[in-house]
Amino acid sequence: MPVREWWIYPKFMDALTASLALGGLVVLAAASGFLIRAREGRAKILTNAVRVTPEQLGLRRGDLPFGSTATFVQFSTEYCAKCPATRVLLAETARAHPGVRHVDIDVTQRPDIAQRFTLKQTPTTLVLDEAGMIAARIGGAPRPDALARALDIARRRDHGSYTI
Amino acid sequence: MAATPSKKTAASTTKTSSGSPANPLAAKPGSTGIDPRGPRFGAVITFVLLGIDVILGLTGPSVEAGTSWAVRVTDPAFILLLVITLIFAWGTFAGIQRHPYGVLFRTLIRPRLSAPTELEDPVPPTFAQLIGFVVTSVGVVLALLGVPYGLVVAAAFAFVAAFLNGVFGYCLGCQIYVLLVRAGILGRTRA
Repeated sequence: MPVREWWIYPKFMDALTASLALGGLVVLAAASGFLIRAREGRAKILTNAVRVTPEQLGLRRGDLPFGSTATFVQFSTEYCAKCPATRVLLAETARAHPGVRHVDIDVTQRPDIAQRFTLKQTPTTLVLDEAGMIAARIGGAPRPDALARALDIARRRDHGSYTI
Repeated sequence: MAATPSKKTAASTTKTSSGSPANPLAAKPGSTGIDPRGPRFGAVITFVLLGIDVILGLTGPSVEAGTSWAVRVTDPAFILLLVITLIFAWGTFAGIQRHPYGVLFRTLIRPRLSAPTELEDPVPPTFAQLIGFVVTSVGVVLALLGVPYGLVVAAAFAFVAAFLNGVFGYCLGCQIYVLLVRAGILGRTRA
């Protein structure tokens, strides 16, 4: 019998090895699931002072879309499972804090906006301070505690690297 | 769709801040909301079937080069992946509300559960069915062409996505959407 090189003629795998391969796949999927769960909804605090203008979000300045103390800018798409729940959380939090507004931007028709803010997932939330500077960025459905912390930082005047 | 983005966002902003009494998680007018546990139940069945298919694929002739047509189309791994693909096609084109697993969920599982705390928009899970359909179709085509491991790799990708959906409630298909928008593949209907 000629020797078969596995990369040319792979032999069928036996059932045990195939089950082990599937087990490896389960471990991989579960590990990614736990990683996603651990990272999702956390606030990334930004200190590099990037200002967002209403024009960049496809809004007109006359709409006065930003809040007087802070603004939640939510990026959504039409095909987004967690966007509606995020909309409720952000709108309720904004209502509970005077001077805080919630703006929901649907980027389904605006790839330019999705590109500018390098959206990797929706919902993505930017928490802006009163000057429109990005204080924090939250990828995925925000955790309430992370949102509260981000709002707290946005309402602070001293941002560490800069002061408004 | 016809409205300019600024008007659209301005309208949705005022709607959310005014605090309408209607359930904001409900589906858009014109479509009925679905129990979010339905698609998740379907994802569990899907990842179990895909797991079986990965085993069948690894232990069958789809990993072998130079197989004949007769071997390829009678391979159990191929037949099962074709069935899974057709079910994804059903969910994509008939809508998630008419999905066979959804019917199974409503008749067998739902009566034993408490009422859903919220209803979900059917559009995102229907889009996820489309992504599943595309991935498994690639596997079916590669298996027909006799590309070694093509079937297994496609089934493995779909398995991971369905596992994340069924076990963690994470909709990978929905997450991919914004990346497709950024790449300019989807969503650019605006002139």
